Amino acid sequence: MANINIDSIKERTFDAIVIGSGISGGWAAKEFCEKGLRTLVLERGRDVKHVKDYPTTNMYPYEFEHRLEMPYEDKQKNPIANRCYAYREDSAHFFVKDDEHSYIQEKEFDWIRGYQVGGKSLLWARQVQRWSDFDFEGPARDGFAVDWPIRYRDLAPWYDHVERFIGVAGNRDGVAELPDGEFLPAYPLNAVENHFKNIVASKYDNRYVISARCAHLSQPAPIHLEQGRVQCQNRVLCQRGCPFGGYFSSNASTLPWAEKTGNMTLRPFSVVESIIYDEQKGKAVGVRVIDTNTKEVIDFYSRVIFVNASALNSNLILLNSTSSRFPNGLGNDNGLLGKYIGFHSYTAVITGEYDGELEYRTDGRNPAGGGYIPRFRNIYKQETDFLRGWAATFSASRTPSTDTSGVGVSLKDQLLHPKLGNWRVGSHMMAETIPKESNKVWLDTAEKDQWGVPLLHIDVAYDDNDWKIRTDYFEQMTAMFDAAGFQNVKTRNDDRRPGNDIHEMGGVRMGHDPKTSLLNKWNQLHSCENVFVTDGACMTSTATQNPSLTYMALTARAVNHALMLMKKGVL
Amino acid sequence: MQRRTALKQLFFIAGGIVLFPSCWGGANKASIALRKLYINAEQENLLAEIVESIIPETDSPGGKALHLHLFVLKMIDDCHNEGDQQVFVQGLKDWDQEMNNSLGQSYLVKIEQDKEHPLFDFFMMTKRRVIQGYLNSAYVMKNKLIYELVPGRYNGYAKV
Repeated sequence: MANINIDSIKERTFDAIVIGSGISGGWAAKEFCEKGLRTLVLERGRDVKHVKDYPTTNMYPYEFEHRLEMPYEDKQKNPIANRCYAYREDSAHFFVKDDEHSYIQEKEFDWIRGYQVGGKSLLWARQVQRWSDFDFEGPARDGFAVDWPIRYRDLAPWYDHVERFIGVAGNRDGVAELPDGEFLPAYPLNAVENHFKNIVASKYDNRYVISARCAHLSQPAPIHLEQGRVQCQNRVLCQRGCPFGGYFSSNASTLPWAEKTGNMTLRPFSVVESIIYDEQKGKAVGVRVIDTNTKEVIDFYSRVIFVNASALNSNLILLNSTSSRFPNGLGNDNGLLGKYIGFHSYTAVITGEYDGELEYRTDGRNPAGGGYIPRFRNIYKQETDFLRGWAATFSASRTPSTDTSGVGVSLKDQLLHPKLGNWRVGSHMMAETIPKESNKVWLDTAEKDQWGVPLLHIDVAYDDNDWKIRTDYFEQMTAMFDAAGFQNVKTRNDDRRPGNDIHEMGGVRMGHDPKTSLLNKWNQLHSCENVFVTDGACMTSTATQNPSLTYMALTARAVNHALMLMKKGVL
Repeated sequence: MQRRTALKQLFFIAGGIVLFPSCWGGANKASIALRKLYINAEQENLLAEIVESIIPETDSPGGKALHLHLFVLKMIDDCHNEGDQQVFVQGLKDWDQEMNNSLGQSYLVKIEQDKEHPLFDFFMMTKRRVIQGYLNSAYVMKNKLIYELVPGRYNGYAKV
């Protein structure tokens, strides 16, 4: 009996455990496995194998029962998921339905989740921009949150490392606030996007319109072919999973790469209840998992643990990992765990029309989506009555418009012969928010989910700074649209709730000082150094960039550091 | 054409809706399974005629041949709220009763242009779904306005 027990413990012991298989967990798995560590990757949802488990990927619109529209009953049942732009008949199976994992909204908050192998890396918008020191130095300069314990030079080689592997289409634009990287050829701007770019460049000193940088294989390099991925075919049906591996996902890239080493054990259907802390050893020794099929509780052990469960779930796991050493959650000596949550404010849209460049139209589809306007407000100094600023998308399209009036032969003829009208232009705002102590999450003391894990309270809201930024976006973009000769310019409040941006961050922030932060500059918990948090939870501030690239770079960097400490015998 | 193929084509249309002749499913029922709507065979036929008037057969198939009336039923049944569904069912009844309302196109245009018309909401709801079904039909996407699943290109300066 004793032997069986020992064998069983041996079977449940690994060098490293990674909690979560999404965009950052996949990177932790790849880096550990490549270096020869036996790695257990835990995923709370089901397995999704590349291509094989993309059931809708090759379907035509008419093959969908409701032509991609979500049925009324589903909308009633899942209002949160239905508010996500990507939740449609072709992708709904990759989203968490509202009742699958409930949470308590102190204020309205859309928590958009993907519980399956690959997580939301199957669903993301694939936009990737590096941070610069204008972002890392933001909190220290402007006096909010705490100083980031790292600077651009710390992360730059890891941005290189990640970009080379995932494949990023982009131009070397030479914009200091948006550092250049290791790029595949960019998806060029179209006629009107270029027109706008030129007008903006001629009228403003530090404003740029660049080709959006995206994680698509515009021209695959050998490293991408080696992953079994080929050139992006411009389908722009990415949320279904891509049979070409044209965009980066854990499923197409990091997980199969890790699996190939023979060092990865991937365990789906595994909800992590908590991280196990050993009071004698003074460190974490493993994780407690609930098998969602058998409801069995199983402990797994390892020397290091990476927490990549997605920002708010990583908070949840740490808050639920209590011991006599850490009665308020693992690593939570200062009571700040779950606090200083940030997100991106997407609350503004502007549209217009343009009657120039009419000799052109577009042909095919642009996976990058068009242009990107990096933040230009408050870069070199504070110059407005709000902190930080906004970045924005910009895109122009000339899809034919159809006259649907009347009936009969004339209507049929109109439908089959749509007319090429003016260009339509549009932009939406992506603004930085200021993490505050009052934006926080915590565990309910009584209510539990179906796995016996406490429900998460989410208390996150916009503030005055967010509305000032929105006003500025409307004013500046209207002026820029006017300068470009766009007509019929309309601004619109996008009243989406926090969370609907799907960029929730923070709660386990990095910092220099254990009194005011949870993680050190290597993403280790200050007071439990073999636990690393490298997903959105670690973010000290939010910047305006789409965050996934930074999570991946932080993860690769942290794994490298963990390997070094393990080799030295420190961990 | 092989008889088997012909049968398959009769019973299976794109979108996976299985069609049963009404004589199989008991008398006087709609030919597709509906969860919320109560529609009888006559009403289904009437809807088919309305749909055909909106998108008539020319040198290419019209609404009826493309089964757009069934698509309308499916969408109203699954994707609309109860209020809409009541308007729809009532609209079909009223149309039926006022009939012999003309199915002539001038009558339909009269409804479309008169927001106060009692059948306006019914008609616009139906028409919107007919147009959606038509433009997203396998026929149109394969033969008229070709839908490319794999474009494999992007050109931002295509000459008009």
